[in-house]
Amino acid sequence: MRVGADSRKTTNRRFVILALSPALLFLAVLIGYPLVTVLTDAFQDAHLVNPGVGGFVGLDNFHKVVSDPHFFPAVSNTLVWTIGSVIGEFVVGLSAALLLNRKMRGQGLFRVATFIPWLVPIVVAGMTWEWMLNPDFGIINSLLTSTGLVDSPINFLGDKEWAMSTVIFVNVWRSFPYYTISFLAAMQAIPDELFEAAALDGANAWRRFWSVTMPQLRSVSLIIVFIHLIWTAVNFDFIWVMTQGGPNYATMTLPILIYRYSLQQFDVGAASALSTIMFLGTSLIFVVYYRYRRRLSDEIVG
Amino acid sequence: MSITSQRRTGNAVSYVLLAILSVYTLFPFIWMVISSLKPREEIRARTPSFFIQSPTLDNFVRVFVEHNFLEYLRNSLIVSLAACALSLVISLLAGYVFSRNYRMRLVQGTNFGMLVSQMIPGVLLLVPLYITMRNLGLLDSYASLILAYTTFVIPLSTFMLSSAYDSIPMSLEEAAEIDGASRLKTLTHVVLPVMLPSIVSVGLYSFITAWNEFMFGYIFISTDSLRTITPALMLFKGANSVDWGGLMAGSVIAVLPVAIIFLFLQRYFISGLMSGAVKG
Repeated sequence: MRVGADSRKTTNRRFVILALSPALLFLAVLIGYPLVTVLTDAFQDAHLVNPGVGGFVGLDNFHKVVSDPHFFPAVSNTLVWTIGSVIGEFVVGLSAALLLNRKMRGQGLFRVATFIPWLVPIVVAGMTWEWMLNPDFGIINSLLTSTGLVDSPINFLGDKEWAMSTVIFVNVWRSFPYYTISFLAAMQAIPDELFEAAALDGANAWRRFWSVTMPQLRSVSLIIVFIHLIWTAVNFDFIWVMTQGGPNYATMTLPILIYRYSLQQFDVGAASALSTIMFLGTSLIFVVYYRYRRRLSDEIVG
Repeated sequence: MSITSQRRTGNAVSYVLLAILSVYTLFPFIWMVISSLKPREEIRARTPSFFIQSPTLDNFVRVFVEHNFLEYLRNSLIVSLAACALSLVISLLAGYVFSRNYRMRLVQGTNFGMLVSQMIPGVLLLVPLYITMRNLGLLDSYASLILAYTTFVIPLSTFMLSSAYDSIPMSLEEAAEIDGASRLKTLTHVVLPVMLPSIVSVGLYSFITAWNEFMFGYIFISTDSLRTITPALMLFKGANSVDWGGLMAGSVIAVLPVAIIFLFLQRYFISGLMSGAVKG
């Protein structure tokens, strides 16, 4: 039976709508609607358990959040946590990819070994490191004191001078494999002729890395750095598991503050205002990314 | 120095560095396993040793018998498998039209919506999602977690599957269509069987994401018998002036399923991730 072109087009359209509707429904109900609620609740009085509280309050919630004495320290902690983690992940991730990209025996095994931290739940990563770094019974302090590197055990997570660098260190350990995998994929796409030509021109390994490998990694670097800036800035798990924002607010970041407003003080208005501020921050990162991306594409194409 | 000897020293240096890298990535797991098998006195030793004097399964017995780790394990399995299956069905459908009908406005709009949704992190939706689940009467149920995890993995799963569909020639479907099969039937009987490796890799991604999630499990579930394993570990730590042996045994239990799946299917997983990475 031959189907007319028009009715064929309609069945086609119907199929597309049907195929997309489950995905659209999930996104609308569980991301779109909550997002709109955050943006409107930020200007309302809202309480988590007391539905009697309500009403438009203008910018009161924003004022409250910004004048919280923990707000600006939390902003600066979030910046340190995010930028420190991303730099560490980038350096370790790229070095590992360079090592793993060398044509040698056994690389398959090394790749699997490198990739494993990324598979563990953050809770497990955080707790295992917390146990290893324990000042009384931890293996790391035991090794550090027995080799004479330090005189007395360091309370890595309990000392406010050490806590932030320690959580960043653990985050780098858990997150760098993603960079490695992405860099490896990009490196394997670089044609061998480029390296051969550079070698013929007398470029040593160091120069080949900077003039052949790195330019080819710009595009993938941009996207993973951008994704991780956002993922890290909004990450709740690592810090909550290891320090809960302590000691003495030394690792208090904005996501932990959101949690405290909403589920400890039940102040939905303030939590939404803070979420809105963070959302503006991540959108800003996105705009910056977008502009770089366009400039990069122009360079590559033109 | 000749090229070959230069290459040989380069290799030697690389092997040493790779060995250091592997110690860095694997040592925490080795230490986790060692600690989980140590009796209490050895856990609380001033100078911890790599060798266990009297290895014991006490820590495992304790978390399984006294604390309900078997139940947590079951809950995590139910939630992760359900989210994995549900998100696969949804993304297989969406990804298919992403690949075959990209010209349509509706498809491009959905694509854009999914991209944007990737920029909106979970913690910002924490409060409204909690309230939404409460209004739907789903708080403190498997369904709350299954729905949330499904939603979070839909965008990336759809993108990965759509690029997998891209690599399958249209002629396959056209032939089936000439034979009179409907589009849905063509999809399930002709296209999907060819896509199996991609489906496995996307399924793994969603399963592991759901298995490892912590924040929503921690906040949505308050009944102990419904709790998943990641928040259970956190609460276990808080409740017992830190029973490190038990905690490490619990961690081994939480990592084991993922580790087993990964070791069997790592080829699919890494290649899937790498193809996704190049596209990005």
